[in-house]
Amino acid sequence: MSKELNLWLDDLLKDIKIIQFKRKNSRRVRIDIAPEALPALLELLQGRASYVHLSAISCVDWIEENEFELVYHVWSYETNSLVSAHTRISREPGVYLSVYDLYTPAAFFERDIHEMFGVYFEGSPDMEKFILTEWNGPPPMRKDFDSEAFVNQTFNWEEYHPQWLKDIEAEGGGITTRPEDVR
Amino acid sequence: MSDISYKDKGSILGPFKSLSFFSRKPVTEPFEPRIAADNYRGFHVNDWDVCIGCSTCQKVCDNAAITMIKIPGLPDDPVMGIRNERPAIDYGRCCWCGLCVDICPTSSISLTQEYVHTCRENELDSYFILPDPNGMHNKLFPKGWSKTGDADLVDLERQPMAEMEPQSRSDNFDEIVDGFTKQQAIIEASRCVQCGMCHDSCPTNMHAPEYIRAIWEGDAEEAVRQMYRTNPFSHVCGRVCTHRCETACSIGRRGDPVAIRWLKRYAMDAVSDERVREIAAEGKADFVSGKKIAIIGSGPAGLTTAFDLAKNGHAVTVYEALHKPGGMTRYGIPEYRLPYDRLDADIDVIKSVGVRIECNVRIGSDITMEQLRQDFDAVVVAIGLQQGRSTRIPGSDHEQVRASVDLLRMITAGESFDVPESVVVIGGGNVAMDIARSLARMQKSQYGKVAVTVSALEDFDHFLADPEEVKEAREEGVVILDSRGPKECVIDKNGKLEGLTTLGVISIFDDDGRFAPSYDEVDEQLHHGGMVIESIGQMSDISLFGEELTEELEWNRGRLQADEDGVTSVSWLWSAGDMVHGPDVVHAVADGHRVAASIETYLNEGSSNNE
Amino acid sequence: MRPENYEAIKQPPSNEFELNFGPNHPGIEGNYAFRVKLNGDEVLSARADAGYLHRGFEKLMEGRLWIQNIALVPRICVPDPVPMEVCYSLAIEELCGLEIPERAQWLRVMQLEMSRLAAHLFAFGGHAATTGMYTPMFWGVADRDLILDRFEELTGGRVYSIYNIPGGVRRDMPDGFLDRLGALLDYLDSRLPDYDSLFFRNQVFIRRARDVGAMTQEQALKWGVTGPNLRATGLAFDVRRDDPYLAYEKIDFDVVTQPGGDALSRNLVRRAELKQSIRILRQVIKHLPSVKGAVRCPIPNPLAWNVPAGETYTRVESSKGELAYYVVSNGGDKPYRVHVRGPSSMHAVQVLEKLAVGSRLEDIAQIMFSLDACPPEVDR
Repeated sequence: MSKELNLWLDDLLKDIKIIQFKRKNSRRVRIDIAPEALPALLELLQGRASYVHLSAISCVDWIEENEFELVYHVWSYETNSLVSAHTRISREPGVYLSVYDLYTPAAFFERDIHEMFGVYFEGSPDMEKFILTEWNGPPPMRKDFDSEAFVNQTFNWEEYHPQWLKDIEAEGGGITTRPEDVR
Repeated sequence: MSDISYKDKGSILGPFKSLSFFSRKPVTEPFEPRIAADNYRGFHVNDWDVCIGCSTCQKVCDNAAITMIKIPGLPDDPVMGIRNERPAIDYGRCCWCGLCVDICPTSSISLTQEYVHTCRENELDSYFILPDPNGMHNKLFPKGWSKTGDADLVDLERQPMAEMEPQSRSDNFDEIVDGFTKQQAIIEASRCVQCGMCHDSCPTNMHAPEYIRAIWEGDAEEAVRQMYRTNPFSHVCGRVCTHRCETACSIGRRGDPVAIRWLKRYAMDAVSDERVREIAAEGKADFVSGKKIAIIGSGPAGLTTAFDLAKNGHAVTVYEALHKPGGMTRYGIPEYRLPYDRLDADIDVIKSVGVRIECNVRIGSDITMEQLRQDFDAVVVAIGLQQGRSTRIPGSDHEQVRASVDLLRMITAGESFDVPESVVVIGGGNVAMDIARSLARMQKSQYGKVAVTVSALEDFDHFLADPEEVKEAREEGVVILDSRGPKECVIDKNGKLEGLTTLGVISIFDDDGRFAPSYDEVDEQLHHGGMVIESIGQMSDISLFGEELTEELEWNRGRLQADEDGVTSVSWLWSAGDMVHGPDVVHAVADGHRVAASIETYLNEGSSNNE
Repeated sequence: MRPENYEAIKQPPSNEFELNFGPNHPGIEGNYAFRVKLNGDEVLSARADAGYLHRGFEKLMEGRLWIQNIALVPRICVPDPVPMEVCYSLAIEELCGLEIPERAQWLRVMQLEMSRLAAHLFAFGGHAATTGMYTPMFWGVADRDLILDRFEELTGGRVYSIYNIPGGVRRDMPDGFLDRLGALLDYLDSRLPDYDSLFFRNQVFIRRARDVGAMTQEQALKWGVTGPNLRATGLAFDVRRDDPYLAYEKIDFDVVTQPGGDALSRNLVRRAELKQSIRILRQVIKHLPSVKGAVRCPIPNPLAWNVPAGETYTRVESSKGELAYYVVSNGGDKPYRVHVRGPSSMHAVQVLEKLAVGSRLEDIAQIMFSLDACPPEVDR
């Protein structure tokens, strides 16, 4: 049963022109699809092909292409295989459709992506802040946010100056390379 | 025992079973810290005698916890690849992952089984420690996580270099070594830990970490750019350099050093000659200074000086007495080690930045020094060492007793001479190997067999020639005898050279460290040979200076007196290269840069004085 | 939220009021909070409040060399760190096409199951504490410590073992390790009846946990529940069996289910999994000596390691459910993006918010521990 379903799905997906289909191995499929067609694909996968479990939605910031990549990982408990549906949306304004009506777990992932990347999901039940409640800066997971620079500006490092170091400095030695010099 | 059923109603009495625990002995943890496991990841120790201060631990540290501290009094020797720096660790950052241990090229650093440290608020400094062999609190704890063979993150094995088999190379002058493929070069480059020991040890301070990194990134052009920052003889050095970088390489502490020389060669071969010329010309002055400099001798020292000065906008003319430029790199190094077209490529680059080379001009006879002094703003003598020294043993004035440099020059120039069917070479340095192996090739192609004996003063433990030279020479049929001192060139009654007698060496230096070999007179051997070649060192032919200038110049034991920057006792004259410093290409290049910089300063001072 | 920013909650003139539950509360796992709306002690709604543990792991990983992250990932889940290391390593191995030696595969399985045992002991101990039974908690934590002893011996670290590395594991195990592990398993085996009589078959616990935080299988699937919590609704699914990795295909074990979908079922699943993990470890002990060879395949110099461009979604079964890493490389020496999908990102947020509704205030802690929710997986 599960094998037939897989074959049926492979055939079906290969025939659809707007998507790119790639079977990585017996349990992993990668699909690249236009953003406007993704909800329909997910509906098809869930309703007709038993991909009922939304394992995760991942977001990747391809800043050089000015795009966000959204990856929907859905799993079928019947065929034991995972479809990763990739789609790319423009980084500006970074708005996309929620798939909450198909997959309840989407609410968490969409909220998380909204908070960390600034992608707004229309129709998502909850776009409120969650982890970074008191953060007013830019979405931190964006590539143009430099967290190390932020930390260096915001916090003071503990400056150690123990006796052994003073002794070495008295002899003409001392710190030559700090860790931040080689990062 | 089956799993508990969801329907199981349980019992209220079950927990009373715990009452049976009342009779058990209570578990008591001692107040003292528990003894940690054998490979526990506790506080660091660092064996300062083994540590070389390469700072690889600092680069792998994922928490930026390691600071390098310079400690006066510790050995600091760039040539040996040792810095007087040691890692200090911030225990406010360290997470004891032990990556520093696993990557340490020397395996000096390890973690111990000690794990308790605490302090009052005003003693936070105590979290910044300088690990030494004694441990954090000077209490000797056993080592915990330390280097093991299966955990080493350093790749100790070099990429194999493909080369010609002895039987196929022993009768021709084709280049022996194939060079790395791109794949090999990238893998070999990836072994580098970017410690920079190579840079520090290199006489001309080549930016080896940078070009190795560039090769790893697949950017050979960038690698070439990094090389031309310091070395216009990169093709030559990529093949025949004495590679002090590899001696200093921190990976070489426990394994094969990174093949820096072969990587240099790879990058140079990977980029087209035309592109190399473009890269080398980057940063060339866009003005003409109007200054003129004459350089005598077109070896690496002279041409490096010329390259630098020409890039600075000066008009540089190089005079070469022989047919072709290159000096000893052409007339001293056999073609199987350095193909002439690669040398030509290097020289073409140097010419392309505006250096004029005039061959077949012998200064002293064709043009006098005085003329040069009048026509040029500065003159550099970089003539090298082109006369072979003689042992002056009895019989060494026979016509079949030759100097190795003369023969090597003749071989390159294509001048014919009678190749002897058997030959004895005196000397144990790389030049002795060069002439022995060259003659072996000629014997093999003319007579089908090799009869070359090398007799060296040193024993194999203190041999002067590179080990690979010795190995390859033997593979080609050369017989190498160590600890043999030359006694006499034997000449039969018809005046024909019969061979060389040698004595066993007892010691080479006397108690004061002076060169004074003593021999075992009983241990005498005769090595037959129709030719004896002396290869015990070279000296300069200083006849070019002429009497007057020779008088004016200062000399030091027969060598022209010059300071670090090549400045002689005469204001307009510099000297560079082998004739003042040690004999190898990369030293000559380094010398060339120094001399060029010194001349640059001199010219600038001169022009500002005129204003 | 910082305490100084707490709003004073205005209490309406009725039984309805709001309560901040956590972030510093013995009934909460880790630093995590709920804002609970109550009518008397009946929960009308609960809203998760995270951020107290946020360290920005995903962002940090983008700034570190591939290998440096092995010291970082275990910190995402303190009670069960090994799956984090393994999952991350598996992802890199897939991207690089590295074949890890068989011995390393078995060593990884061994650690994973040791870690699962430790995590389950922690979880049921914690659950017991939420119902006021502290002895099982002490037992669970004390016996977990014995597992940590073995971790210390094997890896040099007790909690964050940092033992896995892309390509295999960092060291071979010490001599005689399997004997000592076997002895530990014998001991744990002998402890199971004690746990049963004290806790799992204790009427107080059973009556307290039955029907608390109950969900049906349909609900569980809809809400994205995984791991023991899903199996407690009767669905026999386990990544180890159904999306196998490492040596799990060669290992014999049962995927245990329970029918109730409530706090009791979830605990009984964990109880059964203790036994299954011991069973797996016994097979490892039997099989491992016959697997000879290296424990790590050759890997490039960590300072000069470019992982080929690509992406992979790698899953393992942690003690809490489906753990996945989505790793993207752009061909550089650092990850371009790492997305950690911790099972608790479902359990501790949406699932808990839903299950809490209609339960009593004192059950929230119980529900949270029965879900074995791990807040750092949410916060990351």
